[in-house]
Amino acid sequence: MAAVKVSFNNRLRSLLVLALIAGVVVALRLTDIQLLRHDRYLKMAERNRTQVLYQTAPRGRIFTADGKAVASNAPSFDLYYLSAGPKDEEYFSRLAQDFAPRLGMDKEKVLKKLRQGAKSGKAVALAENLSPNSVMALKELQLYYPGVYVIEENKRVYPYGIFASHLIGYLGSMEGDEWKNRDLSLDYRLDAKIGKNGLEKKFEKDLKGRDGGVFLEVDYRGRVKRVIEDRKWQPGSDLYLTLNYAVQQAAEEGLKNSKTGRGAAVALDPRTGAVLALATAPAFEPGMFVPYSDEPQPKSKRISEYNLAVQGIYPPASTFKIITSIAAIEKGGFNAEKTVFCPGYYDAGSRVFKCWGVHQDDNFFEAMADSCDVYFYTLAAQIGPAAIEKTQQMFQFGKPTGIDLPGEKAGNLYGPTKRARNRSYWFIGDTLNLSIGQGELLVTPIKMAQFAAAVASRGKIWRPYYLDRLVNSQTGKVLQQGQSELLGTVDIKNSTWDLIFKALKKTVEGGTAARVWIKGLDVYGKTGTAQNPHGDDHGWFMAFAARPGEEPSLAVAVFVEFGKGGSSAAGPIAREMIKAYFGIQDTSAPRAVRASAQEEQPAQRLPAAPPEEIVSHMQDLQNVLFSTVQRQEDR
Amino acid sequence: MAPYPFSSRKNRIDWLLLGAMAGLTLLGALCIMSAVNAVSLSNPVVRTHLIALPLGFAVFFAAWSFNYQIFDEQWKPLYGVILTLLIGVLLFGTYQRGSKSWFVLPFFSMQPAEICRVLTILVAAAFLDRQGRRIRDMRTLVLLGGLIVPIFGLIMLQPDFSSIVITFPALLVLLYCAGVNIFYLGLVFAFAAVAGFFTVAWTYLYLHPSLLDYALLDVFYKLASSPLYMAGFSLLVALAGYAAWWFFKQLRIFLPSFYFVLATLVVLAGFFAGVFVDHQMKPYQRKRVEAFLAPQSDPQGASYNVLQAQIAMGSGGILGKGLFSGTQSQLGFVPEKHTDFILAVVGEELGLWGTLLVLGLYLLILWRVAVVAYLASDRYGYLVCSGIFGMFLTYMLINFGMLIGLFPVAGIPLPFISYGGSNLVSSMFALGVVQSVYARRITLG
Repeated sequence: MAAVKVSFNNRLRSLLVLALIAGVVVALRLTDIQLLRHDRYLKMAERNRTQVLYQTAPRGRIFTADGKAVASNAPSFDLYYLSAGPKDEEYFSRLAQDFAPRLGMDKEKVLKKLRQGAKSGKAVALAENLSPNSVMALKELQLYYPGVYVIEENKRVYPYGIFASHLIGYLGSMEGDEWKNRDLSLDYRLDAKIGKNGLEKKFEKDLKGRDGGVFLEVDYRGRVKRVIEDRKWQPGSDLYLTLNYAVQQAAEEGLKNSKTGRGAAVALDPRTGAVLALATAPAFEPGMFVPYSDEPQPKSKRISEYNLAVQGIYPPASTFKIITSIAAIEKGGFNAEKTVFCPGYYDAGSRVFKCWGVHQDDNFFEAMADSCDVYFYTLAAQIGPAAIEKTQQMFQFGKPTGIDLPGEKAGNLYGPTKRARNRSYWFIGDTLNLSIGQGELLVTPIKMAQFAAAVASRGKIWRPYYLDRLVNSQTGKVLQQGQSELLGTVDIKNSTWDLIFKALKKTVEGGTAARVWIKGLDVYGKTGTAQNPHGDDHGWFMAFAARPGEEPSLAVAVFVEFGKGGSSAAGPIAREMIKAYFGIQDTSAPRAVRASAQEEQPAQRLPAAPPEEIVSHMQDLQNVLFSTVQRQEDR
Repeated sequence: MAPYPFSSRKNRIDWLLLGAMAGLTLLGALCIMSAVNAVSLSNPVVRTHLIALPLGFAVFFAAWSFNYQIFDEQWKPLYGVILTLLIGVLLFGTYQRGSKSWFVLPFFSMQPAEICRVLTILVAAAFLDRQGRRIRDMRTLVLLGGLIVPIFGLIMLQPDFSSIVITFPALLVLLYCAGVNIFYLGLVFAFAAVAGFFTVAWTYLYLHPSLLDYALLDVFYKLASSPLYMAGFSLLVALAGYAAWWFFKQLRIFLPSFYFVLATLVVLAGFFAGVFVDHQMKPYQRKRVEAFLAPQSDPQGASYNVLQAQIAMGSGGILGKGLFSGTQSQLGFVPEKHTDFILAVVGEELGLWGTLLVLGLYLLILWRVAVVAYLASDRYGYLVCSGIFGMFLTYMLINFGMLIGLFPVAGIPLPFISYGGSNLVSSMFALGVVQSVYARRITLG
């Protein structure tokens, strides 16, 4: 055969080259999917094939210093049958025979559920919400019956209801993107409940624990193939607070029953700064979100997350007279016995500043006990506002206390330096307002408590702390220890403190705070009534107490919003708190009140004087102290 | 092309081609057993495949020993066989999954469309071989169209789109290699594009009825619904063709009027093909088009399948999870795992090496088929190999393309790997023909 090679065109060759190029592209893409994205796809494949019957870990408990669990857990048990186990009728019959009486169910009903599970291939709940009593027996039985699992879920409970609700906070569902920000190692499920406020939020990652669960391999229809792992949960860490249950309870009771039911009460240990009570009213029921409903709460059930104790700022009113006194005493030449005549008003030249009563001749102690405004006007006029401002700064007014809670307000410092920084003038009226704690001066209840503790400890300014220790509930290891921290000291003469202590004691023993007096205790206190141009005045009370012969071990500050009088509204609450702390049951009547100190009224309603008016009278002013800061500081 | 590196005149069989095929069938058999999780003959899938495999080899060796030129000589009876099979299946066939494409015989069932695919290539190659120099004429294409349209029409009546999806590109490759004028090939391509455009656009509107609020889209959608609209549209296209011709004349650009007639005809033919396809489409097929156009729109629906297949491949990594241990395929997350998505099983259980091996063996087959085409002793052998090259190229691109998201899910098996007796036997028959061409080559020297 003659070999004649027929020649063909080159078109098939070009196609072969194209095929090879396509092959390379496909190979690259395969490498991309199988090599570079392997981890991601592997995770997706794992998620596809596993189904988990979750066992929610118990959340870490929260204890008060006296060992009361104020946040705890309630376990609930479900019994599941997974069709990965044996499926024969004889086994089912035996199983139902053994379990039915313990579940309080009919044997036939159990059998029906078992058959249903075997048929569908899915996990079925034989019984839900079992009582803890029956669970021990069921857990033992479970060992003899493969395919049967007791699933434990833990739900948060607050045994004392509204107790310290603003401090403890509450749980809620994760919203929006919140789950993305969660610590991945803690395995947050989409339906997990997380701390939304307070300590529940702040210590979320410690309290959370690790959920356990029965991990099942399922096929694409959700039929159980086998059990991969039965993982036990790990409980969260327990939180021990410095809170004193009795004091906190007394504070909450008192606030709830006060005139308006709105306010805050704080108790500190003046020796360490430990928070013994931190109450805000109205309180809320932290457990109300725990019924695990995803529906939006009705408006009426929405809670006030506003923690007045650290976020509310108000003028300190007459409690501030302590600062004015310290400033005057430290300035020198102060004679506590020297009296000032109070005709019921103070003539500032251009204007008259009223006192809340007519106190006649009051010396320092009487003036403090009666809370005589004229006495302190006079002091302030003598020493000048700069000294008072300096003393304020020593007590760190206008700064947050540094308690480790979100949203703490700093309050507001008031004085000529501050005023000058804002490029504004200082008038005599400001000095007089400052001396009695009115005007622009603003403090939070926690700040007031820190102040009370500072006075009680003769000048130690503590950072209030509430965490005693964070403990791993399984090993008992202390993970975090609360620390007492001194922020500063008020460096003044001991004799000054003596005078102040004496005056404050007198206030309680026969002055405006007489209704706080407690038999057998040294109680020191000062009332305050903050003017409120928008409604009823606010009541303040700050106090500290000691057993006779000991140093003060409790400092309290009570604030009742719109409570009208410091003595009548806030005083009794403080008294109950002090009694609770020292364990005094005695209910003997408070000491008789001096006639001149029945109930402190707000000093006067200051008209908001337009500057023109004041400027026109400027020449007439006697003790004018309207100098700018520079001049003040030159002195 | 360089002579076969270790060839001798005695080489009667292309061992590389045979080896690649055998390797793929072996791999395929393993993966099918793994996919259905059975190694015993009691499993119908395993049993059928293990029966089809020797049958396929028998057909392969028969085709190899047969002189392929007989198909060239007897192309007319062969054409008759194709039509008989396809008409027969429409008359006596059985419905399976909504298509009447199966002959159910006492011991086995078969899909005539599979073997017709190879036979169509043999017939088309024979026809083109006879055209000689007229191959570049328009007439050749029209006549070939006359031959092919009845075949496609009958397949569409089953309906079996996947068969068309493979055969049409294979025929295009054949035409290209036969030396058809590129311009005419372009027209055929344009015809397919127009038909495809109408089909896809109508499918999209079908799945998004809200778009029909726009009057123009509504009219467009109705084009497929009644003969009146179709006639109106045809008239409009004809007028447009005439207007274009007139316009160019006014511009003093003189183009043969023949081109305008041709363009008009192509658009109309594409339109009517589109109408036909649209009428034959089933809802699940529309869903697949949708899933390809917008994979995000329906994560649990049609694109779910592709996603699960990709998860299977990706989770396999480099070495794979091992046969019988792929969670995605064993637990049923990968759909159609032993047929259309067998590559996902390969990817999951044998890893990147497995998929690259399959890809490599396919490229090897393509290379050897192309080499054999250039070794062929006559033009018919070259054309047959070109058509078969086109067929396997299309299979490879669509199967891999589907898994990597380049093609919509078309329900097309991967020859030699996927389960499916008819496909396996006809694919092996095709390679047998290629071996026959190789055996009867002319060796120089």
